[in-house]
Amino acid sequence: MRDGAKAMIGQVEGIYRWPCDGPWVAASAALVVVDMQRDHLDPDGWFALTGGDAAALRRIVPACAEAIALARTAGLGIVYTVEAHREDLDDLPANKLWRTQRLGRAVGAQGPLGRHLVRGEAGAAVVSALAPRAGEPVIVKAGKSGFIATDLDHILRRNGIRNLVFAGVTTDGAVQCTLRDANDRGYECLLLEDATASDVAAHHDDQIHTLSLAGGHYGSIAKVAALAAALSPEAVA
Amino acid sequence: MLPSVKADPYAWPFDGRWSVADTALIVIDMQTDFLKPGGYCATMGLDVDLTASSIAPARRALARMRELGFPIIHTREGHRPDLSDLNANKRWRSARIGAEIGTPGPCGLLLTRGEPGWDIVPEVAPAPGEIVIDKPGKGAFHATDLEAILQRRGIRNLVFAGVTSDCCVHTTMTNANDKGYECLLLADASAALETRNHAMIVAITAKRGGQFGAVAAADDLLAALAPAKAPAESSR
Repeated sequence: MRDGAKAMIGQVEGIYRWPCDGPWVAASAALVVVDMQRDHLDPDGWFALTGGDAAALRRIVPACAEAIALARTAGLGIVYTVEAHREDLDDLPANKLWRTQRLGRAVGAQGPLGRHLVRGEAGAAVVSALAPRAGEPVIVKAGKSGFIATDLDHILRRNGIRNLVFAGVTTDGAVQCTLRDANDRGYECLLLEDATASDVAAHHDDQIHTLSLAGGHYGSIAKVAALAAALSPEAVA
Repeated sequence: MLPSVKADPYAWPFDGRWSVADTALIVIDMQTDFLKPGGYCATMGLDVDLTASSIAPARRALARMRELGFPIIHTREGHRPDLSDLNANKRWRSARIGAEIGTPGPCGLLLTRGEPGWDIVPEVAPAPGEIVIDKPGKGAFHATDLEAILQRRGIRNLVFAGVTSDCCVHTTMTNANDKGYECLLLADASAALETRNHAMIVAITAKRGGQFGAVAAADDLLAALAPAKAPAESSR
């Protein structure tokens, strides 16, 4: 994914000091930027056209940009996910098609940003402010979790990644589904609570609350500033 | 043809097609460790009275679906006695809150296969021939043969009961939904260790047209099944 970065980084202050096993190296960690694509964020995107509050999701773009910049500077891996289906919709479950028809905008139907939630269309692209660079893999997924029917786990293991930092949308949708699956697979996870968002503020707060149960049974939770403090040149040994 | 189940936000299943041939009840982690005093959750100081409230509705749904010949799947969260399947961070977190997995508690080694605390409670215990999935994580698809079993049996619809709603039930149901299964959460046959967390799961499941499936009460399911006739003993 990238070169080295072997310096020891101190733990990040959060609901517990992350990662749980002490100082870490950037090469073993990746930032996962979940579903920050135009279909979800644009005023003309699928999410807004189906009644979702895309403006609430756009508010975290600066925080995500900051997390990405921190990760790039420190040498963490960066992985993006986008939710998008094959052109022929071969990977679209019948019930997801039916539900999105009921929402008024079926997956695959034409919209202002091309066909809704279809690979290669304008809506499936990560917003330009957060655009992936060469060497930063984009995982295209048909469901909520980045681990279902994708090569995400393969890519992370192949690159020696064991610690994952999460940003993106929505907290109660794809972010939590991917984080829960990462935790089951043994990754040590950190959720950046101010770089994730839901269209319904209470659903973000409630999700943070449930993930905090038992001291953080899916991982730790912190703010972007805490990650920045741990990654600051003065803090890194 | 069975009638649809009255559910939120749509009558379930979406296509109106369900039968004993393609629909299973999946009862998640109804174990002493999550439901009873002396188990893993009680040892952590969590309120198992809340989770225990799901037992009676789950039992009603289980009894009726069992009688009608639906496939029944039980899951259990627990680790091998040598803990070779226990992630290091899961062990660390459990130790940090005073309930280290694999150490002795009032009901045997905490969250460990074969121990009394790991057993499914008698009220909803598996009957002979019912499928039991042992899992080391929250999601029942991870590191198990659940998907192989569902595919082999041609199951496409899943009815969920069990605990906890915000943890293993939700993780398994969202995974099932991603895999294309049509899911129904029986809200009162499921529970969390805090009412706020249970209410949140019900809300986000039914959100946006049912992003993870639909939600009903156990009695809504039973009402839809009321006209159904149990098969003769010999044909089961």
